[in-house]
Amino acid sequence: MSVRHSLLGLLAQKPRYGYELCAGFTALVGGKENWDVKPAQIYTTLARMVESGLVIFNNLNGQQSKGEYTITPKGHYELMDWFRSSDIEEPHQDPFYLKLMLSLELDEVDASRLIVIQRAALYQELHRITEQRQALDPHNQLAQMMLMDKSAMHLEADLRWLDMIESRLDEVQRQPSPKPAMRPRGRPPSQSA
Amino acid sequence: MRIQILLAWRYLWGRKQRMVLTTLAVVFGVTLLFGLNAMIPAMMESFRHNMVTTAGKVDISISSESNNPFEESVLKDLSEIEDISFYTGILTKNVVLPESLGGTVNKLTGSSAVTVTGVDVATAQNVRNYSLIEGRFLEPNDTNATVIPQLLADKMELKVGDIFTIPSSEGVSDLKVVGILSLSASAGLDEIFVPLPDAQTILNLPQKINTIDILIKSGADRDVVVSSVLSKLGPNFKSGAIQTGEELASALTMGQSMMWLFGVMALAMAGFIIFNTFRTVVAERRRDLGMLRAIGASKQTIMGLIMVESLLQGIIGTGLGLICGYLFSYLLVSAVGNIFAGMLRVTIGAPVITTVNLIGSILLGVGFTVGSGYFPARSAMKVTPLEAMRPTLGSIEYRQNNRRAIWGLGLLTLSVVGLLLGNVSIAGLSGVVFLVGIILIAPVMVKPVADIFGKLISSIYSREGKLAQGNLTRQPSRAAITASSMMIGLAICIAMMAMITSIEHGFTTYLDKSLGTDYLLMPPSLVLGSGNLGVNQGFIEKIKSIDGVEEATSLRLATSQVDGTTLQLIGIDPLVYPKIAGLEFSEGDSVEAYKAMEQGSAIIVNGIFAVTNNVKTGDVLSLKSPQGERKYTVVGIGFDYLNAKISTGYVSQSDLAKDFNSESDLLLLVNRKPDATAEEVTPALQTVIKEFPTFSLIDSNEFKTEQMGMFKMAMSVFYIMVIMLAVPGLIAMANTMSINVIERTREIGMLRAVGATQTQVKRMVFAESVLLSALGTTMGILVGLFLSYLLVKAIGVIGFRTDFFFPTSGIIASIVVGLVFGIIAAMVPARQAANTVIVEALQYE
Amino acid sequence: MATIEVKNLSKVYGSGETKVTALDSVNVTIEQGQFVAVMGPSGCGKSTLLHLIGGLDRPTDGSVFIEGSDISKMSDKTLTELRRRKMGFIFQFFNLIPVLDAIENTALPLILDGVKPELARTKASEWLSRNKLDGRGKHRPDELSGGQQQRVAISRAMVSDPVIILADEPTGNLDSRSGDEIASTLRKIVTDWKRTVLMVTHDPRIAAYADRIIFLKDGKVVDDTLLNGSNGENAKRLKEKVESL
Ligand SMILES: Nc1ncnc2c1ncn2[C@@H]1O[C@H](COP(=O)(O)OP(=O)(O)OP(=O)(O)O)[C@@H](O)[C@H]1O
Ligand SMILES: [Mg+2]
Repeated sequence: MSVRHSLLGLLAQKPRYGYELCAGFTALVGGKENWDVKPAQIYTTLARMVESGLVIFNNLNGQQSKGEYTITPKGHYELMDWFRSSDIEEPHQDPFYLKLMLSLELDEVDASRLIVIQRAALYQELHRITEQRQALDPHNQLAQMMLMDKSAMHLEADLRWLDMIESRLDEVQRQPSPKPAMRPRGRPPSQSA
Repeated sequence: MRIQILLAWRYLWGRKQRMVLTTLAVVFGVTLLFGLNAMIPAMMESFRHNMVTTAGKVDISISSESNNPFEESVLKDLSEIEDISFYTGILTKNVVLPESLGGTVNKLTGSSAVTVTGVDVATAQNVRNYSLIEGRFLEPNDTNATVIPQLLADKMELKVGDIFTIPSSEGVSDLKVVGILSLSASAGLDEIFVPLPDAQTILNLPQKINTIDILIKSGADRDVVVSSVLSKLGPNFKSGAIQTGEELASALTMGQSMMWLFGVMALAMAGFIIFNTFRTVVAERRRDLGMLRAIGASKQTIMGLIMVESLLQGIIGTGLGLICGYLFSYLLVSAVGNIFAGMLRVTIGAPVITTVNLIGSILLGVGFTVGSGYFPARSAMKVTPLEAMRPTLGSIEYRQNNRRAIWGLGLLTLSVVGLLLGNVSIAGLSGVVFLVGIILIAPVMVKPVADIFGKLISSIYSREGKLAQGNLTRQPSRAAITASSMMIGLAICIAMMAMITSIEHGFTTYLDKSLGTDYLLMPPSLVLGSGNLGVNQGFIEKIKSIDGVEEATSLRLATSQVDGTTLQLIGIDPLVYPKIAGLEFSEGDSVEAYKAMEQGSAIIVNGIFAVTNNVKTGDVLSLKSPQGERKYTVVGIGFDYLNAKISTGYVSQSDLAKDFNSESDLLLLVNRKPDATAEEVTPALQTVIKEFPTFSLIDSNEFKTEQMGMFKMAMSVFYIMVIMLAVPGLIAMANTMSINVIERTREIGMLRAVGATQTQVKRMVFAESVLLSALGTTMGILVGLFLSYLLVKAIGVIGFRTDFFFPTSGIIASIVVGLVFGIIAAMVPARQAANTVIVEALQYE
Repeated sequence: MATIEVKNLSKVYGSGETKVTALDSVNVTIEQGQFVAVMGPSGCGKSTLLHLIGGLDRPTDGSVFIEGSDISKMSDKTLTELRRRKMGFIFQFFNLIPVLDAIENTALPLILDGVKPELARTKASEWLSRNKLDGRGKHRPDELSGGQQQRVAISRAMVSDPVIILADEPTGNLDSRSGDEIASTLRKIVTDWKRTVLMVTHDPRIAAYADRIIFLKDGKVVDDTLLNGSNGENAKRLKEKVESL
């Protein structure tokens, strides 16, 4: 979704060529390491937007492949709509959580080892980001640094969460694991019984 | 070393207030030590100077070993000695000038006196040089003539040709002034010269002289001449001037050791203060020290750091103390100089800095400081590097405190047992043991005492009192140490006061006993030996013949030496004396003793002498007399009031005349007949006395009141000393309180932050300080009682036996002083605490 | 030869009822030029490990080798010298001497070692300016911010050219920005000066500056992760771990 709106945002500044949009997007996200979007995906997205009338493609010299994209009023409207919407990520859909919960029920997987491994992975990632951030020049790459900070902070949050579940793993294990709720059948049990 | 000095200096500088307080304690101790001891030598020095100038103009001066007069005839022996060019015999003695003869009599300073020197007119000028400014020197045919120094002439407004009247054994002698000397030969007393026979009459010493002045031939070896003279004259003579000042000099030496004691006690308290400060310093800096250890400082470096810090304070404190001490003694000397000039007939110059005093003060001042830093330094050394890593925690040592308390309790028991054993030296030791015991037990006492007094304070300021109580009990060792330094001060106060009360009581009793007679015929000066002139037998006969006089007896005087100790000999009449006066016996039976005296060669000695020379009844003493060594058997230990302070022996008057050539009466005791009234007898006595102006008639009752007054005055000097000693206690309290405040800056800031008012913070500090002083006072009273009991026992042993009186006034005074000190000590710290800036306090690390 | 080698290291505090096993046969080898973070829940023995490695405390069992020599057998004197010459300490509470200025604080280990004062001061100023404290040399600790104080402490730890720097929660008392500064200073010490740094921390962001994290739990090493490999290496290592499941 955001790729589409980012492209609209770039076009809102000025009409651009396709390859210009590719480079612009990579610069915006702070490099390929951060968000590797293939040109093909960008062109597909652009094509869809042309179809829905959000942008117009102006052929240059009649060549099909080369031309400038311009935003339409409808496209502009859509962009503004995007700005007005709020961005809340979906934190509950966490694959690690699923792994962990399932491991509690399976004897062949050790839940605490899972945590250790996940943590090692998270730290490796955090270390990488920290290194990258160190390499940036705060005088003209501040925007990117802040993006790094965002990721670092997310990782930090994940790590703290890991610490937390690790320390309470025993308690969780002792509680009954989440089961699908039973649909009550027949007469509800009497209060006195 | 460099790093230690740098750090030590910076730390000290960083806590200026504390440094000043601690150093002040050292300054105070050294001031007392150095100042008091600079004053005594000033007196000694004047004395020595005095004696040297009198003896200094001749090559050799010979006198008898016992300083008593000897026969003129011994002079003959000297003519055989080759290397002597001239010699002359002299009879010299101080004579007090009574008021009626132009002397001034002053209760405090004693009376004016002159030295009467009888010279052999024929030979005197060969030996000494008498430079006259007016008139002539004595000539062979002169009688009742004198040559006087200019100063005296001016003082008495005498000119050549005038008559100068001085007391004499026959009443008075009228001397015609024939010449005036340009200089006084003696720096202390005015010396008048009279022909030898005149002097012998005036002093009632016929055919006697007491000094031989000798000039040797040029080129002769003085030492050789001296030894040949002495071998000629026999063992009873010595070379040197007559040492009239010896007794006083030894009294001064005694005084000097007292001064040392005072100074050392003050320094000991300073030591406590420093110890306390450094303990706090170490506790405060545990983290710094741990860090230093972690980054590679060795144990020695750490120890050195604290030691250098105490050394610096010791050096600064001692240096300042020396300066203050000099000023202090200068002030003292100029203040008491007049009194001493009168009493000792010596002018006192500027304070004298003796090497011993200087080095001693420096060693003790620096030594005490560094010594007190030693144990804290050792505990600093034991700080592990780990301390740096942990956040600071208060250390609590209850277990150790309890163990110490058990030790303390053991020592206390021991000391009480020691006291009960009755032996002086054991009892003295038990005093020290008691002190140590109390100090050990002190930390455990903190809580109960704080609880009791805390309740009192809580009833006034409920919240602050509670807080203060808690603050105190969480640092029991420190509270105990502070209280200990206060304890020493107060204990000394109480002990002194108890002693004074007891002595005062005893004094009254003695006075009643010693002066049991109705009248005293007193010489001008109370101390018998000093320049008083006796009278011959005629006087007492005249007194006895008065109607209404039942009995009269006299005291006579001579000096002797036993094993190098000078002993004043009092001649009494063993038949009459016990009837109308009597000695106070502490050993031996009085009836037996007087009986033995009648037999002869028996002596009763007083307590001071018995103690210092370790003499018991039954011992045989060998007394130096002009006739050689004489054996006397000790038949008792006892004393009279007048001579309680000087080593004295009592012998019969016949012995005194036989062995010591002394036959003049110095003091007369007279009793009325039971049916005679004062109105009849007093005028009759006064008529007789007119002829003998040396004597004054004293009604015993009047005299007693007068003496009590003087006694109280003398004791006030003690009170001043006591107050001086209490000052370090105050410094210690103030010191601890401000350290407490500095240390708790953060806490106080927190209290302020959560809403405590400035007044509340102030009250808290005050309450704590008062609690602390309550602890010190409690301990002080305990130790004070013990010490005072001990002191009274001790002076009992040296012969001044008195009953122990409970020092109620001392205790009340101590409680008041303690309370006042508690408040004064908290004044600055309380203000400091109240003014704590909250934000800064919370940043304080 | 490893810079630090810890073999079967155990530390037991107290005895009987109150016995606490702070470390339980720990084995760790740290090579020169590594930046190692020690992590784990409170009370797991991190500080204890650091203290034992630094020779501040004696192990109950096992041994610590610093550059091949066993420090658990050294006398206090030798140990003190070793600390002075080979180790630098950084504490959570900065622990500067309050009465000395920044230069003097920094120069302390040299002065303790008997280096000439002028030389010591020069070296100290160099380290202060490397740690961006130029012009602060004359300030006393109470005139410096926490972060600055900690940088003085780092300068002090570095001034005697130690082989190992030990830091116990060096950022524990700082905000995240100053914490980052301290961590990157430590990082530089490892990268530029090839020193070995062992740091205890609770902060994942600070730990992420390290090359390697040792996780402790109940006195035992539960994980030991290298962070500085390429993506491929890291993935490989992770895979190995996953295999062990
Ligand atoms: N001097 C001591 N005496 C007794 N027990 C101690 C002592 N020092 C530490 N311990 C115990 O040893 C264990 C490990 O302590 P350590 O200080 O190493 O923990 P840590 O991991 O540093 O904790 P934190 O993260 O809270 O600093 C703890 O359980 C602690 O209670
Ligand atoms: Mg720790």
